[in-house]
Amino acid sequence: MNRKKDKGFESPRPFKLTHQVVCINNINFQRKSVIGFVELTIFPTVVNLNRIKLNSKQCRIYRVRVNDLEAPFIYNDPTLEVCHHESKQRNLNYFSSAYTAAVSAVDPDAGHGELVIKVPSELWKQGDDLKVFNVYIEFSLDQPKGGLHFVVPDVEGSMAERGAHVFSFGYQNSTRFWFPCVDSYSELCTWKLEFTVDASMVAVSCGDLVETIYTHDMRKKTFHYVLPIPTAAPNISLAVGPFEILVDPYMHEVTHFCLPQLLPLLKHTMSYLHEIFEFYEEILTCRYPYACFKTVFVDEAYVQVSSFASMSIFSTNLLHSPLIIDQTPVTRRCLAQALAQQFFGCFISRMSWADEWVLKGISGYIYGLYLKKTFGVNEYRHWIKEELDKIVEYELKMGGVLLHPTFSAGKEKDNPTPHLHFSVKHPHTLSWEYYKMFQCKAHLVMRLIENRISMEFMLQVFNKLLSLASTASSQKYQSHMWSQMLLSTHAFLKSISNVSGKDIGPLIKQWVDQSAVVKFFGSFAFNRKRNVLELEIRQDYTSSGTQKYVGPIKVTVQELDGSFNHSLQIEENSLKHDIPCHSKSRRNKKKKIPLMNGEEVDMDLSAMDADSPLLWIRIDPDMSILRKVEFEQADFMWQYQLRFERDVVAQEEAISALEKFPTPASRLALTDILEQDQCFYKVRMQACFCLSKIANDMMSTWQGPPAMKSLFTRMFCCKSCPNIVKTNNFISFQSYFLQKTMPVAMALLRDVQNLCPRDVLNFILDLIKYNDNRKNKFADNYYRADLIAALTNSLTPAISINNEVRTLDNLNADVRLILEEITRFLNMEKLLPSYRNTITVSCLSAIRELQKNGHIPSDPSLFKSYAEYGHFVDVRIAALEAIVDFTRVERSSAELQWLLNMVQNDPTHYVRHKILGMLCKNPPFTKAADSPLCNEALVDHLWKLMNSGTSLDWRLRCETVNLYYTLFGLTRPSCLPLPELGLVLNLKEKKAVLNPSTIKPELGVGAVIDTPASIGIHGVGMSYSAVDEEPDPISLGVCGVGQPPQGMKRKAETPLGSPPEPGQVLQQQEEDVRGGRFKIRFNTMEEEDIDMETVHDSQAFIHHHLNLLERPSTPGKEPPLVEQSMLSMPATPVPSFAKESTSSSSRHGGGEHGHHHHHHHHEHKKKKKKHKHKHKHKHKHDSKDKDKEKDRDRDNSHAYSNSSASGRSLRSPSMSD
Amino acid sequence: MADPAVASGASLNLGARVGGSKAATSPAENYHLARRRTLQVVVSALLTECGFESAEKAAVETLTEMMQSYISEIGRCAKAYCEHTARSVPTLSDAVVTLIEMGFNVDTLPVYAKRSQRMVITAPPVTNAPVTPKALSAGQKRTHPSHIPSHFPDFPDPHTYIKTPTFREPVSDYQVVREKAATQRRDVERALTRFMAKTGETQSLFKDDITAFPLIAAQPITIPYLSALLPSELELQTLEETDSSEQDDQTDSENATGNLITDDPGADKENSLLPSGAVVPSAKASEDNVIDNPYLRPVKKPKVRRKK
Repeated sequence: MNRKKDKGFESPRPFKLTHQVVCINNINFQRKSVIGFVELTIFPTVVNLNRIKLNSKQCRIYRVRVNDLEAPFIYNDPTLEVCHHESKQRNLNYFSSAYTAAVSAVDPDAGHGELVIKVPSELWKQGDDLKVFNVYIEFSLDQPKGGLHFVVPDVEGSMAERGAHVFSFGYQNSTRFWFPCVDSYSELCTWKLEFTVDASMVAVSCGDLVETIYTHDMRKKTFHYVLPIPTAAPNISLAVGPFEILVDPYMHEVTHFCLPQLLPLLKHTMSYLHEIFEFYEEILTCRYPYACFKTVFVDEAYVQVSSFASMSIFSTNLLHSPLIIDQTPVTRRCLAQALAQQFFGCFISRMSWADEWVLKGISGYIYGLYLKKTFGVNEYRHWIKEELDKIVEYELKMGGVLLHPTFSAGKEKDNPTPHLHFSVKHPHTLSWEYYKMFQCKAHLVMRLIENRISMEFMLQVFNKLLSLASTASSQKYQSHMWSQMLLSTHAFLKSISNVSGKDIGPLIKQWVDQSAVVKFFGSFAFNRKRNVLELEIRQDYTSSGTQKYVGPIKVTVQELDGSFNHSLQIEENSLKHDIPCHSKSRRNKKKKIPLMNGEEVDMDLSAMDADSPLLWIRIDPDMSILRKVEFEQADFMWQYQLRFERDVVAQEEAISALEKFPTPASRLALTDILEQDQCFYKVRMQACFCLSKIANDMMSTWQGPPAMKSLFTRMFCCKSCPNIVKTNNFISFQSYFLQKTMPVAMALLRDVQNLCPRDVLNFILDLIKYNDNRKNKFADNYYRADLIAALTNSLTPAISINNEVRTLDNLNADVRLILEEITRFLNMEKLLPSYRNTITVSCLSAIRELQKNGHIPSDPSLFKSYAEYGHFVDVRIAALEAIVDFTRVERSSAELQWLLNMVQNDPTHYVRHKILGMLCKNPPFTKAADSPLCNEALVDHLWKLMNSGTSLDWRLRCETVNLYYTLFGLTRPSCLPLPELGLVLNLKEKKAVLNPSTIKPELGVGAVIDTPASIGIHGVGMSYSAVDEEPDPISLGVCGVGQPPQGMKRKAETPLGSPPEPGQVLQQQEEDVRGGRFKIRFNTMEEEDIDMETVHDSQAFIHHHLNLLERPSTPGKEPPLVEQSMLSMPATPVPSFAKESTSSSSRHGGGEHGHHHHHHHHEHKKKKKKHKHKHKHKHKHDSKDKDKEKDRDRDNSHAYSNSSASGRSLRSPSMSD
Repeated sequence: MADPAVASGASLNLGARVGGSKAATSPAENYHLARRRTLQVVVSALLTECGFESAEKAAVETLTEMMQSYISEIGRCAKAYCEHTARSVPTLSDAVVTLIEMGFNVDTLPVYAKRSQRMVITAPPVTNAPVTPKALSAGQKRTHPSHIPSHFPDFPDPHTYIKTPTFREPVSDYQVVREKAATQRRDVERALTRFMAKTGETQSLFKDDITAFPLIAAQPITIPYLSALLPSELELQTLEETDSSEQDDQTDSENATGNLITDDPGADKENSLLPSGAVVPSAKASEDNVIDNPYLRPVKKPKVRRKK
């Protein structure tokens, strides 16, 4: 196994980063721009380090200096545009592999980066003594679309008065979006962070605030932070704004920040943070690793919680006042999560992406322990069951979730997750949904490990890991020690075996190295003669997302004489298990029955089978397998289980099983559990819904008032007048939640006409009418929102007479009442907004439901106005959800278009991401169905969106891919015309013919090197002519070292050696288009050389590519093949051409600079910069052979212009070392 | 000159009335005007008596004004005298003293009154004296005890100095109260929202009748989270009320932490917002010297050496 080998950490880079300075001098809120520089201190680990690869996206880089010498660099980001635009490829398989290749090409974990800096020759010539390099990079960001998010409310006043703020965000390692760095979790260094901000603002960042100093004009101040603990760049963050500051009253080293006016909420919300701290420090027997901790609450947060070294950024919407009940546990959970990640995730970082599961698992696991302690065992077990159900459902639907993907080096075919439409090789290619499930599974597996080795050992392991890391972190100047702070799967498992002495290999193999879950079907028979329970457990391990389980399984049997655990062995071919029973049917009728927990209870045994002593049976009661169990037992057994089993999980299982048994006995069992206030409130809530379900099934035989009505009356209404609800008093949270839930469940009742019974509707209307919160200590907004939800639930489709237009006149009287309430609620909310506008949210979904059921005209305009930027985010999401639903029901392409535009343009990332998520969940159409919406324009739009439109947000791109998959599947969308395979060739020929004609005029222009637009165009021609001249690149490549074009040809040969990826549409054409492939490779190769000294920034890069794309005659029409070859690249050893770029550069010295300045003219419209670079250029090349350069320039630039933005070009420099 | 003491007999009445009708509302004003008209007739008569054939309107008006002032003054003074002697209704002697005080020779009055050529003026039409609204009588007024003479003013209403008995049983039926509260609230809310909807932009759910179920139009706001997160003042009030009612068990712990909490933000805000030369207020610093938080420390001034 791959894992076992990697004992120590081997850096993929030829250098070690020890210290980084990030200095942001200027943050302009008006223009949303940032200017600053970074300085990296690196130790080369090889002699002759001549290239340094860093990560940087979207930053405009002004200059790079290495040890005070100007250094040339290239900036190439293949992820900006994944596939060639002109390609007509539209299948997702193709995209995914291309995207994976692009991400790999700049993957810092593989030592790659977008930014390649050439170490000035003066330095690397004398570099054998491995001295320190200081890499200094000046950069700026203008209107960043990723990495940093500016929130600038559009009101009067100074930026501070407006509450303008900016904060960093990102999915996984995304720090490269806001400053150049080694954006890997495994490259640790110490940090010095300086932020100069307006005097009215506060800059919160990682580490210790050493001092704050005014600038000379006293209008700004500089915050100096020092982070002495080695930290990976992705764990660095920043938040700047006019924050209010609250020092935690219990822990003075903890500081909280929130936006103006929210301080009272912050005080309340943070009043229990110290308990969480205490809890974690106690169980881990380890102090919080950083000297301070900061929490910042920001608006328009990317995710609810994000943790960074010594600080966490939260959504401001987590803040709440003491009036609010429902938000409190949610917020506490978020805080606990953030803090757990401080230990595992921030302080202890991961060695590689494949080890991510350990960190997520541990932080999720200790978070679970916190839940257990704070919210109780019931809540904890309920949560575990919920998580287990989630992961099981996802895996069965989508195929397995693999925690520890191993990629045997080079063999791309070994895709460990072929069932997925994305690659799990990189965090940035994952679908968000998958990643969430990944985290969920990780902590469940940790729990399984705990079950195996005991919690005590588990905590000892954590403690050991933490103490190792903190020892390592204190080794200030021994950066080789720092890798102790990186956690790998191997180290974790080793630690477990050291501490516990147990072999958990099989467990790991089953759940970590392998994806999928187990699906059990159980049934039983009682053999009276033998007094034996014959249990049959079958497995489904053939359908997707399932695996075979072999090993022990626990079965608990509750008999008359008590509860007994049995451990059965699931083996290959044994389905049946005989379990001897202890009790001989019923002998002592009056005897109390002992339960699992030792309690003895009286039961009415009249319902059970007189011959059998079995009360109920549970398979795997401790959830120690990631499984789904479908177990068959009689309805009375489920009822006994519900009433008497004390485990909430068993109760919940019983409730869901009872849905299938609509009998008076089930009704009674459910009603009893509802009334029992000893019972866990979530179980009771679930019982409400089950009760309404079985009441509907029992409609004809149902006797008495509608289900739950009398119960509700008894619990919550006045004694003297049962139709009036008591004035609200939510002091008992259990009854509060029940009071909220019951009406919602009751509204689901239906009578014989399939309408909501009048009684129930009136009852709910009365609840609304008599609702009185004046004497209540808590806000009732969630309760009222649920009452509206109840009204919504009571709606049934309108009786429609030949599809007439819905008008006011034919409005049903009941609906009129409902509408009246909704109108009033919605209007009142404008005057007296409720917390998080829960009521508006509820009203919007009610209105959509009214529309959908045909009571009022279906119209999205109301929702559109609520979906606008400027409403509270929950309201926007609710409105968007309604529009998504509208789009599906009405098949409206205008709305779909509108939604997609919003995905592209909305200022709030969360909303953009949410829209895609909702579209996936409630898709306007799917691949199975025909829909007028499915057309070429939509395919193109989505394709463009994922290809280039979402390039600055990994998560958004992956979500788009997800949507594309949901709509069209993996293959070419059916609405597109069939790809005309022959045409490609024809086109090519056409081009070959066309090109010479275009070359000549363009060449003329080409001499004028400053013309930016011409480069791309004549580039097309030139590359072709080059190919014409040298038809056999392979043979040529062998001999050429000194001559760049030949060197490039050599590279072209390597892809030939490795077979292209199968399954591509164009594969069959391989022979025909081989020529084309050479060209392309040749081009990509050249691009690298040319770019070497060019100043590129992302904008320019995009611009350049757009230029390219508009040109129909570019010869890159076989990108799939390029991409295939890219995929195979890492596997292919290419020592032969390793010297190429080095030698060429050595020969020319700094001489190749000559060719680049037309590039930046091309890219940068700024005159200032142009001058700068011209100057630089002159200054460097005075002694060089200009003519020669010019020639090369031309070649290079031509080639560059039609190069693909593939990762391959970037990969090659690393190999050249 | 016309003798100002015309119809002095009437003047007393008049004066008293003028004094009584101070709170002039519109019926009282009418009454007042009628009196003035009578006065004008009197002035004109006197003028005729003196032999004038015509007079300018302004002159008559001035004379009327003078007369009215004179009579009013007599009335005011007479009342003052009477009140001075602890009575409420002026007597003849009061009027006489007043006249003397004002320098009028009272002895000439009978002669003047009986002069032969005097004109007789018809009595002014009876106008309704303004009704002083009767004070709400609640309960039985108490009669004077025997030792208080009957001319003394009556006791005021008992509710003003004893208690207010209510006569109707309040509605104590829970159901009715709740019903009433609910309806009232609903009516208020409906009226309010209707009003808001009428005065502002609206959205409608129906295309055929945009007035039915008017929805106040959704307006984007610049900082949406503030209104969504902060409790309304109403809610805060109830919070305070409920808090104060059940503070018993909480007071201790809250006081302990409360001090710290209230102190910090002040210091912070000043610290972060002070435009220049910010120094943490020394009083505060000494108070929370326990707290050493870098964000509370003063901002340093730039060092000169940083100039290059």
